Amino acid sequence: MSEYRKPLPPPSVESAPFWEACKRHELAAPRCDACSHHWFPATATCPRCWSTDWTWTRVSGRGKIYSFGVYHRAYHKGFADELPYALVIVELDEGPRLTTNVVDCKPDELRCDMPVEVVFEDVTPDRTLYKFRPVRGG
Amino acid sequence: MSTNLSGKYAIVGVGQSPLGKVPELGPIGLFAVAARNAIEDAGLRKEDVDGLITRGPDDVYCHHQRVGEALGLDVTFSTSTANGGASQAMAVAMACMAIEAGVCHTVVVGYGRDTWSRTHRDAEAKQAVASRPRTYSEFGSEFGQFGAPVNYAVAARRHMERFGTTKAQLGAIAVAFRNHARRNPLAFMQKPLTLDEYLNARLIVDPLCLYDCSVFIDGAGAVAVTSAERARDLRQPPAYVLGFGFGNRLSGWYADDNMITTGAREAGEAAYRMAGIGPGDVDTAQIYDCFTHMVLLQLEDYGFCAKGEGGPFAASGALELDGALPTNTSGGQLSEGHIEGMLQVLEGARQVRREHTPDRQVADCDIALVTGHGGNTVCQSALILGREAG
Repeated sequence: MSEYRKPLPPPSVESAPFWEACKRHELAAPRCDACSHHWFPATATCPRCWSTDWTWTRVSGRGKIYSFGVYHRAYHKGFADELPYALVIVELDEGPRLTTNVVDCKPDELRCDMPVEVVFEDVTPDRTLYKFRPVRGG
Repeated sequence: MSTNLSGKYAIVGVGQSPLGKVPELGPIGLFAVAARNAIEDAGLRKEDVDGLITRGPDDVYCHHQRVGEALGLDVTFSTSTANGGASQAMAVAMACMAIEAGVCHTVVVGYGRDTWSRTHRDAEAKQAVASRPRTYSEFGSEFGQFGAPVNYAVAARRHMERFGTTKAQLGAIAVAFRNHARRNPLAFMQKPLTLDEYLNARLIVDPLCLYDCSVFIDGAGAVAVTSAERARDLRQPPAYVLGFGFGNRLSGWYADDNMITTGAREAGEAAYRMAGIGPGDVDTAQIYDCFTHMVLLQLEDYGFCAKGEGGPFAASGALELDGALPTNTSGGQLSEGHIEGMLQVLEGARQVRREHTPDRQVADCDIALVTGHGGNTVCQSALILGREAG
């Protein structure tokens, strides 16, 4: 297997539990104990009610495409072989939006509001990325 | 409740540095030349300046101090701003507020950056770009998110699917501004641009192509702001500050529908209210155009057409010099060059001063809207300039 060449920024204090969940193939988001709001990425306070009491919670992994842009120029050599590739914004059913890629779908098949579900890619022994795929015939 | 500052302050001088490829000057030098030219244009002297609000490269610590040092200026009020492209219109408003508060009387506001030269000046600059350490942010770079264009590409895509906006409509913006630039000998892009060339151009991040993106150049712009009372004794007709407003949707570009309706709506409503006018009273708009799609969104959010109708409005010819809303009449950042909104402030003032030759002057121009946008895409500032104080 060739060396993984795309950026993998190290997890931060706030994001480490999220990436640990990804390694277990679970998608997690902060959920406020006080007002039930889900948000992403994690911050010390709930952005809606400012409560500091919240819990990493497994989410459904289902959502829809909010929008996307298709790169025709490689800003990083790790992506040069994949042009054109799409950067996709997915809105989870629980509300948070994630920047991601959609697999099993060509860029010109993407549409806003297309239903998608999470899949996981173990890209290195230490890191697992969350991506999405279209929900077919759902 | 509040004091209305409308018409109490004015831009009394405008100045710019050489624009384009100016490798012999650094960012502070560019700013100093523009500031000197603005003060000279006003008929003021160095000794009259007691306020300085600046912006330049983000890697210059306390930028205003470096500029003040270069200009040998001791002032009472000074700061640098950090609101991206929303800073320049905001800084003019801040100058009015500072004068109103009595902390200073005459403020120089400006922006300067050696944007082209810092990556092209010499072999060393090119090497520094190639070998600079990259830091990548999480939740984006893993998936290939790099650079600014994608933020506007996703906004354009969403707008297209929701409202039927087309590439040709975005192209009409690029073509209109190029037409303006070709009447401005100092604009960077002088080659004609046709809609056909636009539609066949190299894609950067689809739906945005090369001509949807602003042009990076070296340069600086500056203005002098003082009271309307002082303005009447000075060399140039004042460009009165009739209104300003701000909208900062800090929850983020990707939150809610902030990429469909932007903080420009709040900025515009506040500015119009302060000036006591509506969008129908605006004779020319100088709109922050880092990308074509931001023009389209702002045409909607500043009330020149309904939400979703920015595309047809732009394609109607409205933005041309003889159109319903002559826009970015010096060529804009898409064709004159990207000086982070400062040249839009200058052009707004010049249009209400009616100083251009007839081929560039908006007929009977009384009111100009100047906008700024930036700061991770969510910060918006609006400024309304008038030929009369009210």
